[in-house]
Amino acid sequence: MEDQNYILFESYLSKELSQEEVSAFESRLKNESDFNQAFNIYKELSSFLEHKFEGESISTAFQNNLKTISNTYFEKQKPSKKVIRFKPWQYAIAASVALLIGVVTFNNLSNPTFNDYNNYETISLTVRGGDESLLKTAENAFNSKDFAKAEAAFTELIAMDDSKNELQLYRGITLLELDKFDEADSLFSKLSNTASVYKNKAIWYLALSKLKQQDYNACLELLKRIPEDAEDYKQAEKLISKLE
Amino acid sequence: MSEKKIHEDQKYIDGLLKNNSFIIQAIYDKFVPKVVNYIKQNSGDSDKAQDIIQDTLITIYNQASEKKLQLTCPFDAYFFLLCKRKWLNELKKSSNKEVTINEAVLSKGDEAQELAFETSVFGEKQALFTEMFQKLGTACKDLLTATFKIKSMEEVAKSLGVTYAYARKKKSLCIGKLTELVQKSPKFNQLNN
Repeated sequence: MEDQNYILFESYLSKELSQEEVSAFESRLKNESDFNQAFNIYKELSSFLEHKFEGESISTAFQNNLKTISNTYFEKQKPSKKVIRFKPWQYAIAASVALLIGVVTFNNLSNPTFNDYNNYETISLTVRGGDESLLKTAENAFNSKDFAKAEAAFTELIAMDDSKNELQLYRGITLLELDKFDEADSLFSKLSNTASVYKNKAIWYLALSKLKQQDYNACLELLKRIPEDAEDYKQAEKLISKLE
Repeated sequence: MSEKKIHEDQKYIDGLLKNNSFIIQAIYDKFVPKVVNYIKQNSGDSDKAQDIIQDTLITIYNQASEKKLQLTCPFDAYFFLLCKRKWLNELKKSSNKEVTINEAVLSKGDEAQELAFETSVFGEKQALFTEMFQKLGTACKDLLTATFKIKSMEEVAKSLGVTYAYARKKKSLCIGKLTELVQKSPKFNQLNN
């Protein structure tokens, strides 16, 4: 389409043409299909741009408000926790514990022990590219139950960045496995006092630590602190009924 | 369209347009669960559903504000069809598989169907226009942004340091350039068929 035509479109849309020019323009619209198609797109684009830039701030306000309402709505629909990376082993733990409970019920004479509960599934810490060799070491050591090595790796990782509660939790578990109860307990109780998503996990492991130390009363106290919506609530309930 | 009766659910459209939080909340409470279920049952999850729903509401808002959208059918059916269509398009894009749209429940002349189709074409055009606008040269982008933000061509000319006549001419030519970009894009031809 020639430049001249676009200038004509603009003049027509801003009503600057004389009566005669308007009729000439409209007859071209009727008779020339290319002219007609180009004009329609031109008109649509003008209206699009006008709306896009003129209404921009009102439209942004709407979109922000919408986003807030949407986020609140969808937050409510989700289960209480969002620890996506954890899920596989949480389910696996639940499954293995269900199995264990079966075994324990079958073998009801024995008291519950820490070893009934330390059946960790493989963990996965490495998520993105980059230098993650230390994370990998920690992950592999933990998964192969080389807890001494895992503990060293976690300690080093935490020394670099102590903001990751997930690492703190794993370090606690390795300490617990190594029977370093004082360190493990203080780490778990610190974690259990944060607002972190690992809060209830920390209480659970603190209870398991007491179980391992055969401090059954302290273990019971802790288990009772695990709220109903927590991951480990059911396991905790079962353990409570065995201890009481 | 104008002689058709406007449905009482137009209140939802007006509410969106006025950015009325109560209405937006009501839309989520009343109409969103059905969409979420549908998407979850068709290889999606709740995060995907959230995005689809948000995009759909933005499209409705844009159509209402630019084209004075008038609802001639219940909002429920219209909104559901729109989200569904958007979701199926999304699936098609990501899987390259043929997705059949099974509209057994609605007859062909259905009002909701027609209106949803109109809105989704509008939404796709908007996306296309936005994409093409980004392809324009910086000079055109700046001039058009200034033109539609400031509105007075005299001021635009002054702010860009050019004459009024030149700014006027440039505006037509830039929209002309955009027209050509749109015409040449394969997506536009798909939309028009």
